Amino acid sequence: MSEKREKDIQRIKELESINLAREEIRDFVIETKKEVEKDNDLLAKQINDDLKKRGIRSIDIVGAIGAGKTALIEKIAEILSKKYKILVICGDITTRVDANRIEKHDVNTVQINTGRECALNAYHIYQVLKNQDLNDVDLIFIENVGNLICPSDFKLGTDKRITVVSITEGEWVIEKHPMLFKMSDIAVINKIDLLERLGTNVDKMEKDAKRFNPKIKVIKTSAKTNKNIDLLINTLEL
Amino acid sequence: MKKDLKKIEKIISNIELNSPSQIRDLLINFLHTHLKRSKIDNFIGDYPTFIEPVHLDENVKIGDDVLLGPNVYIGKDSEIKDYVEISNSIVFDNVVIGENIKLDNCIIGKNTLLSCENINIDNCIIVGNVRTKEELYKIMYKFK
Repeated sequence: MSEKREKDIQRIKELESINLAREEIRDFVIETKKEVEKDNDLLAKQINDDLKKRGIRSIDIVGAIGAGKTALIEKIAEILSKKYKILVICGDITTRVDANRIEKHDVNTVQINTGRECALNAYHIYQVLKNQDLNDVDLIFIENVGNLICPSDFKLGTDKRITVVSITEGEWVIEKHPMLFKMSDIAVINKIDLLERLGTNVDKMEKDAKRFNPKIKVIKTSAKTNKNIDLLINTLEL
Repeated sequence: MKKDLKKIEKIISNIELNSPSQIRDLLINFLHTHLKRSKIDNFIGDYPTFIEPVHLDENVKIGDDVLLGPNVYIGKDSEIKDYVEISNSIVFDNVVIGENIKLDNCIIGKNTLLSCENINIDNCIIVGNVRTKEELYKIMYKFK
């Protein structure tokens, strides 16, 4: 990255939050933002190429806070750690709560605390992978920061993206967040064990996901009762 | 950890007694031996991004939009200003890292003031006060 571009990127971060409304700099802000996203996508492609060359499969998991991302990774890790050497990269604003839960299932974890940033980006992943011994890794999971909006701006360079929602979020949650479902390979509707009590219209959720992305695979799971965890693992096509 | 930090501090005050590869090995060994998990619960400032492991000693001040890690030790009373990125490095006590500086594989000696902005620095030792790039090139010791 050139020094000029680096300076532009630094400046945009400052300008974006406080000055976006100022007419005279709006074009500059938008242009630089596009550059940032372009850089992210290029780096994501480089990450994916590098992982493919090494024969490492990679999956990122996004979803709102409390949707059950960590619980699903725990269930998946419990089964797959017997067969694969797994690295899980956990993104959170702060704390190591999720990484501590996941590493109990015989997998390595790296925690990224993003502070004020609402999603992981390709550079975070690049920095982690650059400093890891990848000879001892077959499979990487990335758990993004709990959020259904920001992660759609940043590809991470993984083979597949899973978006997790839960029926407790209501039947409109997919309809309200089209971007993530358009760029995901698998939509997981979790906490299906609560369906009888909540009465959420799961068929509508599934139809919404398919409407935004006809290729998306929709799986209804319960991390609590293990329902369809095997199906989810099969759908990863490892 | 403190014992090894003292050892490194002694070595960087007599750089010529050690080969570049010895210094590099010393840095890598320290980071791999002593940094396994982050210790980031006690700093002054906003919400930086941490890629573990990062170890912050007491009273570290951190500015806006800072990315620390992986493998970073920062000594007590040090200050990291805005837009700084540090990885695989040791920053000793009472250091000031100025705005928009990127450090990778570096050892920054005690009481150093590094305030030339917009620069990427890697694989080197810096001890002393640096306000311009010219000053930096004069005092930095590259170990790769």
